[in-house]
Amino acid sequence: MSQRFGFPALDRSLTVPLVLFAVLLVAAAVLSPRLFTATGMGGAIIVAAPLILTTLALTPIVMAGRGSVDLSVGPLMGFVNVTLIGWLSARGYTSPLAVICWVVAIGALYQLLQALIIIYVRVAPIIVTLSSFLVLSGLNLMVMSRPGGVAPDWMMTWGAGTTILSPVLIIVLAALALWAVMRRTTFYSHLRMTGADERMAYTSGVKADTVRICAHLLGGVFVGLAALSYTALISSGDPTQGSSYTLQAVTALVLGGANLAGGRGGALGSTLGALNMFLISYLLSAFSFGSVTGFVTQMAFGLILVASLLVNVFMTARRTAF
Amino acid sequence: MTSLATEQTMSQITGRSVKLQRSIVIGFGLLAALLVLGTILVPGFISPRNARSILLLAAFLGLASLGQTLCAMVGALDLSIPYVIGGANILFPSLLVTGMPAWLAVIVVVLLGAAIGLANGFLSFKLQGQALIMSLGVGFAFVGAVQLYTSIGSDYGGTVFAPVPDWLRNIAAFNGKTFGLPLPPVVLVWLLVALVTIWALYNTWFGRSIYAVGGSRTAAARLGISETKVWTSIHGISGAMSALTGVLLLGFSGGGFVGVGDPYLFTTVAAVVIGGTSLLGGAGGYGATVLGVLVLTILTSLLVGLGLSFAAQQAIVGLLIVPMVAVYARTPHIRNQI
Repeated sequence: MSQRFGFPALDRSLTVPLVLFAVLLVAAAVLSPRLFTATGMGGAIIVAAPLILTTLALTPIVMAGRGSVDLSVGPLMGFVNVTLIGWLSARGYTSPLAVICWVVAIGALYQLLQALIIIYVRVAPIIVTLSSFLVLSGLNLMVMSRPGGVAPDWMMTWGAGTTILSPVLIIVLAALALWAVMRRTTFYSHLRMTGADERMAYTSGVKADTVRICAHLLGGVFVGLAALSYTALISSGDPTQGSSYTLQAVTALVLGGANLAGGRGGALGSTLGALNMFLISYLLSAFSFGSVTGFVTQMAFGLILVASLLVNVFMTARRTAF
Repeated sequence: MTSLATEQTMSQITGRSVKLQRSIVIGFGLLAALLVLGTILVPGFISPRNARSILLLAAFLGLASLGQTLCAMVGALDLSIPYVIGGANILFPSLLVTGMPAWLAVIVVVLLGAAIGLANGFLSFKLQGQALIMSLGVGFAFVGAVQLYTSIGSDYGGTVFAPVPDWLRNIAAFNGKTFGLPLPPVVLVWLLVALVTIWALYNTWFGRSIYAVGGSRTAAARLGISETKVWTSIHGISGAMSALTGVLLLGFSGGGFVGVGDPYLFTTVAAVVIGGTSLLGGAGGYGATVLGVLVLTILTSLLVGLGLSFAAQQAIVGLLIVPMVAVYARTPHIRNQI
């Protein structure tokens, strides 16, 4: 029993992302070994961190089910970024404590608001997050009409990415540690149950609403951390770039083996998915396609996404055949 | 027992149609309110000029939202729409450059759009939980391939220059004329497409099949309706309509640009949702979406007239979606779903 429901079940959803990760690493080692130097690795961590953290933010929310993939996660990260630079930093509140409290609080509060609307106004999550996407994209441009401002001084060195052990790596590790702790709580099993079958969970006494609120709060904390690493990456505020992280994060989530219908997913898969996304664009930039690099990247993303989804289908088909 | 079951189904059906009718009444109410507000607040809001620009913009959104509506009716969302629009918008002029006659190029682009849609539908049917992302992946792959094709041997990635045929410009440009009347023909095209779609949804086997699949898959299967066929063909229609919109937008803008479809990802969903078609399937229709498109376009025009920036418009439209949907599309509480 434990063999069937324990680790192998976890491993299977990770097979595709793991194999893809290994293939991409080998390809990187052959084509562009610069990645495996200290500076290459350090730079990679800085660039990949915002995507890893936004994908982690989506993970609990998607796991809670109801098809609640949070479309607003990118603009929310952008919102935290522009308010951090435009409101907090511009008024001189630049101490690390104030900044960290701000990013986490804004992320969590916004997600709390969204959860309350989903639960009490009872509108489908995708509609709530769609309207959030529009509201936040608009607000970001109203807070800061063009990219600008500077990050607090203590953050300036973060974006250099010259060492592996940078503060950004610590943020990512802290997020993963938070997930590891969360996995040991009852909340985690309730989250999986709610996501797999909300009615069943409700009738067996799981407080589905509380689970949903907690999932959003956890997602909000991750969004805050994502915004922190994003701010370190660009060392300023940018009202528009955040939005594109939504589609990237959803893609990474699926590449990591999560199911958008809920119930299935995890931090390891999401991190792998985001790393795979990063490696694909890294490898493609190692080739010189000239002016068409962006198009090749986009096409490759699309094809890899379609292919890995199809592989997942065959895997699940085999699983049910057992 | 049977009569009880029938009664329940009947009450469900009437419940749905009452909901839909409520959404339509609210839609008309909103339209009237927006028009009154516009007349009071914006000088020149009720003018032939403004009406023409509203109808023109509504026509593009309306054509792009057709496929999205059909997809929503079976519980899917087509995220490839903006990419197919953008791809068609640059593929069409690049075909013209090769010397292909314009009418043939339109057919080729629309058929290619339909083929992409069919592939998308077929693949995403196989994995319903991930259909959303499958359409996104197909969209990415398509637009990437088109951009590669158009930029080979050219220095301008993503932008294509070609003389747009005069008839296409006339169909879709602001000062286009229909039989001498100052109304761009694309509005008539939309009207015609809308009438045919609304009629077909209620009166053809295929139209009823869409409702059946959206309402109850098991029941649809018992009736001998092929779920695969319905699902695949509506995605095919969506692809063809997106490609057509992309071609028509070229007549509007005059130059091929791949990003032209980007706003349509969220606006098509918003138009469907405001119209009152449930994203979970089974209820709604294209008539509702036409209302949604008009509400959205008139609202935007009002906000532009008030001098609001694009950012503020976006924020306000976003803020209005949840309360509007909450009026007629609240999901029942979990304890009532068991």
